[in-house]
Amino acid sequence: MATRALLAVVSASPNRCFISPSRITILQSLTSSSSVHFHRHSRKIHRIARSYSSDSDSSALQPPDVSRLAQTARISLTPAEIEECETKIRRVIDWFGQLQQVDVNSVEPAIRAEMDGRNLREDAPETFENRDSIRASIPSFEEAYLKVPKILNKE
Amino acid sequence: MLSTLQPPRSLSLLPLRRFQISKTIVSAASSKTIDTSVISPPQSQILTTRRSLLSGETTAVEIAKSYLSRIRLTEPQLKCFLHVSENVLKDAQEIDQRIAKGEELGPLAGVLIGVKDNICTQGMPSTAASRILEHYRPPFDATAVKKIKELGGIVVGKTNMDEFGMGSTTEASAFQVTANPWDLSRVPGGSSGGSAAAVAARQCMVSLGSDTGGSVRQPASFCGVVGLKPTYGRVSRFGLMAYASSLDVIGCFGSTVADAGMLLHAISGYDRFDSTSSKQDVPEFQSQFLSVDQFGSKPLNGVKVGIIRETLEDGVDSGVRSATQEAASHLEALGCVLTEVSLPSFSLGLPAYYVIASSESSSNLSRYDGVRYGNQVMAEELNKLYECSRGEGFGGEVKMRILMGTYALSAGYYDAYYKRAQQVRTLIRKDFKAALEQNDILISPAAPSAAYKIGEKKDDPLAMYAGDIMTVNVNLAGLPAMVLPCGLVEGGPSGLPVGLQMIGAAFDEEKLLKVGHIFEQTLKGSSFVPPLLANVA
Repeated sequence: MATRALLAVVSASPNRCFISPSRITILQSLTSSSSVHFHRHSRKIHRIARSYSSDSDSSALQPPDVSRLAQTARISLTPAEIEECETKIRRVIDWFGQLQQVDVNSVEPAIRAEMDGRNLREDAPETFENRDSIRASIPSFEEAYLKVPKILNKE
Repeated sequence: MLSTLQPPRSLSLLPLRRFQISKTIVSAASSKTIDTSVISPPQSQILTTRRSLLSGETTAVEIAKSYLSRIRLTEPQLKCFLHVSENVLKDAQEIDQRIAKGEELGPLAGVLIGVKDNICTQGMPSTAASRILEHYRPPFDATAVKKIKELGGIVVGKTNMDEFGMGSTTEASAFQVTANPWDLSRVPGGSSGGSAAAVAARQCMVSLGSDTGGSVRQPASFCGVVGLKPTYGRVSRFGLMAYASSLDVIGCFGSTVADAGMLLHAISGYDRFDSTSSKQDVPEFQSQFLSVDQFGSKPLNGVKVGIIRETLEDGVDSGVRSATQEAASHLEALGCVLTEVSLPSFSLGLPAYYVIASSESSSNLSRYDGVRYGNQVMAEELNKLYECSRGEGFGGEVKMRILMGTYALSAGYYDAYYKRAQQVRTLIRKDFKAALEQNDILISPAAPSAAYKIGEKKDDPLAMYAGDIMTVNVNLAGLPAMVLPCGLVEGGPSGLPVGLQMIGAAFDEEKLLKVGHIFEQTLKGSSFVPPLLANVA
């Protein structure tokens, strides 16, 4: 069996954290007495060009620009909120950075848990009976339109 | 679909006083509360209710009145419910009328059920504990709710939660903070804290929650109740307000394994409205709930149990570690074969989970735009309307996660974050699969500690996220898991409960329920009834 050391570096949190800070866990190689089958990685040297380094300081990924993200996500934030968010988000994104160190060479991404085939329905429209209840939820409704303000083009 | 279910004769038929609750005896001088000589194994509330109704010992209306009265008495301290149904007595009356006419009764007839507020209930407010949906009343029932009603269950109300499921303490609700019935200064866990606390406090018999990263299992541990997370696809997600579509499931709370299992059976099954729901057969879980006198000396003889090494290392409270080890010994005494297993990818689950969850939630929550439902903040221009409605409607944690997700999915960043997290998900799935080929179930603590104090984790997101380490991997792998109370640690007026997590292979809830039921029924020396109830009828 191929022996692999998988480095899991967990970034330190200043507060009490339930994961040991900065501990590098080197996982044991498999023996026949072990009860776990280790994931078999290919020995191929072929690597995807690494555009990101493992050191987050020199990462090619730009740190989050909270104002721009808020605009993309259509959420208005006060300046105080932006400042608070920025600190927290940066810490979390830095923490995400440890995923960069995992060797995922030739590992297929899993969209979700395994499913038993495709469950598609007939492409046939069905009438929903309780339309009044839907209408009652609409904030601005003028038969038969949902009323919204105009859109201004942003240059 | 189930029709009338005869209560399995295999369960104990000792006549019980209705609402038999083993009283914890609290002495003023010490925190030791348990008189082990009088504790009998916990009894299923669903089956007790059924027997009482069928025998004429009581009526559904009397039962409902008793629970409503308990809600009135305990809600000011606990705040589990965002909304209590106005139709409880009316629904109970209908059950009594059916009994009077000798009509068939569904297996949940007269059972009072709490429903987490992110699960749609027609005509009843469903807000996901968010201001953006403050007055929203859905035009339809979630499939799980529809099934409960068809089987005679009564929805008692909508329970409090962290907004949109984002949180681990229920403090992120826009409306109120729920208290832990074991210690009112502590959190019930999250995000399904209201559902867990309501069952612990006997405000309802069973309840529904949702579990994306541990949101049923961790509160179950904190509140000393059973929390059951099914396999992804076992229960339809139709009507569950989506947080992370590849991780969300609806789960069940009960005061016994049998109750959680019976509720799960009721809501399971393929649903054409949820294309991720599975067509796998739903076995009759009830056959696992044998009565104690049928167990034999080694009822779990030969069952292989793997204890996950990475969950008992640094960072886990010593009280939790010893409770878990004692639980492992108990399983051994029942005949299980215990080995230690290692899941090499274990610690990667937490960052992978948060990347996936925030990414998917940023997409799922884009539907809350103030246009078709929910609170709208009027503006001169459409984008402003979106921005202000969402800015004012969403709480801080929700906004943060949406922004994190927006970042992770931005052009050029998708490979670095989301795709990478998906690849880590594959590694995690493979590790679990391998471990479950060698073992029937895996066990671990449900959380690194017992319940935190209210406010303790609010300011540091990473400290909050760290508490999910035991649970997120199971969601990434899509496996079923159950948490059941296994011991008490120090804290609060009578100790704080901790739960043991059992993880099974995909669609193997039957095995989990069998092992859990036998474990629970033979566990000596603990009664998981919070001290709050000692003073409430």
